[in-house]
Amino acid sequence: MSNIVLRGSLWDTGSVPPYAVRASNITRGYGGRKALDGFSLDVPAAGVFGLLGPNGSGKSTFIAMLAATEPPETGSLEILGGPPSRALRRRLATVFQENTADPLMRAGEYLRFSGRVFGVASSELSTRIPELLERFGLGDRAADPVSSLSGGMRRRLEVARALLHRPELLLLDEPTTGIDAEERAILWETLRSSADAVTILLATNDLSEADAVCDSVAFIQGGRVVASGSPAQLKAGLRRESVRIAWPTASEGELAEVAGWPGTGEVARDGDIVVVTTDEASTFVPRLFALAPGAVRSVTIATASLEDAYFQHVQRRTGEAAR
Amino acid sequence: MSAALVIARRDLLAVVRSRSQLYSSMLTPILFLVFLGNGVSHGLEPANLPDGNFTAYLVAGAVVMTSVFSSTFSSASYYRDRDSGVLRLLLSAPVHPRVLLLGKSLAALAIGVVQAMAVLLLAAPFVDFEWQYGLVAGLFVSLAAVVLVNLMLTGLAQALASRIQTMQGFHLLMNLALFPLLFFSGAFFPIDGLPAWLRVLAFVNPLTYAVDALELAVYASGDATFIGLGVDFAVLAVLAAGTYLVGLARTPKLTYSGA
Repeated sequence: MSNIVLRGSLWDTGSVPPYAVRASNITRGYGGRKALDGFSLDVPAAGVFGLLGPNGSGKSTFIAMLAATEPPETGSLEILGGPPSRALRRRLATVFQENTADPLMRAGEYLRFSGRVFGVASSELSTRIPELLERFGLGDRAADPVSSLSGGMRRRLEVARALLHRPELLLLDEPTTGIDAEERAILWETLRSSADAVTILLATNDLSEADAVCDSVAFIQGGRVVASGSPAQLKAGLRRESVRIAWPTASEGELAEVAGWPGTGEVARDGDIVVVTTDEASTFVPRLFALAPGAVRSVTIATASLEDAYFQHVQRRTGEAAR
Repeated sequence: MSAALVIARRDLLAVVRSRSQLYSSMLTPILFLVFLGNGVSHGLEPANLPDGNFTAYLVAGAVVMTSVFSSTFSSASYYRDRDSGVLRLLLSAPVHPRVLLLGKSLAALAIGVVQAMAVLLLAAPFVDFEWQYGLVAGLFVSLAAVVLVNLMLTGLAQALASRIQTMQGFHLLMNLALFPLLFFSGAFFPIDGLPAWLRVLAFVNPLTYAVDALELAVYASGDATFIGLGVDFAVLAVLAAGTYLVGLARTPKLTYSGA
């Protein structure tokens, strides 16, 4: 798991409550469908918290509810230590899934417009806009129309816009969708170096991104949280390693013996290949070679990922998709 | 208020950069004046008009028509903001959604007034206006009428935009509502000599009072065949205040699937 430490702050936010967000048994419906249904979640202050779930699971609804500082229909919601209110919006910022930059505006104009709407003084914007544009690699694009920026540049502009008014809670709804790996790395690196002491709530479908940047995550399905914790905690519940063995002559008796070893989980055979999950590959593999000397042609070890944990908790709705 | 002005400024900037919108709102009424005005003048008996000269008579109608086009185009920016995502940003800002509507309507009002007055001022050197109250007073009365009619139309357009999901539906309804109103407003022909049932339609038509005020300010040499400025401004002021408030009444909300 990556342990994110956000450094080099552009601002100090003073003391922060222990939880940036506390949601308890929230319900939110849209057109007869419950987008959130008994949704409960505590997001610790500071650090990066990931919301992971399939499309339609309720991630964006929760983000939009926080962005709008809207009270829930049922249940309770606390944001930055207080109930939802319009005044709280000065302390929040949201990067929505879709760009919000007006294509008819220039990059610098767009930031000035957003800053003014969020109540930042014009004089402060005169120094802050060039500073943020520079940080996000857009220093020479201030006078360019938003429509002329690449997809990755627009996403960086969105994040720069969100940091303009020094939020304490930054809501990111799939901020890196549609941009390449290099742009993604640039964006996260810049964000890390620009947002000290800010709580980042990240809604994403990208499990590897969440594994890399989040301190804690919650898996969401059907409008409720089905599991939460640090990626390490969530992975700890799994067999940590998967061993792929090229073993054409493996007999049923040998496979049964392997399955009985301490720390061994599933044993599955696919033709000449045997796949075993185990808690500790370093003790498993020597034992394997002792059991079948000369019969094992190769062994490949893979470490359990957040994706493995995700699929253990979140059921794929293939039947629903097929309809 | 500061946020409303920032939003208004941005909408004005968008119109300046969207040249087609800037020109098309004014070009149609000007072409209308040049072709319809000159063409019909030759075949029309000047005695049927209060003060002769059909082209001069049409200018007031062209000014109101410009306001109609302008308010329609400006209020359609609501859809552009929704589709470009700007509306989501604004709805997550620490300002009341009514401030957002106020900013957008101020921009629409400013654009409408400038364009309508521009049509009047462009036409003035080429037609024989009477300016019965004098040039300055005439311009002042014209400006007041133009501000009120634009306030009314902006409120109406905003009220419809907040209730209609698609831009196509919005344009359709605006055209459906406003074009018949233009026809029976005295914009194209005097209402004085119309059959009784058409005159009734004209008198319940709010645009009639804007056209009447403008005709009195620039075209007419006397008040005899017109409604009168007192009634015109009383009706326009009440309707403008009413529709503008209705336009601000329904505020958009931030939702998960779009604003």
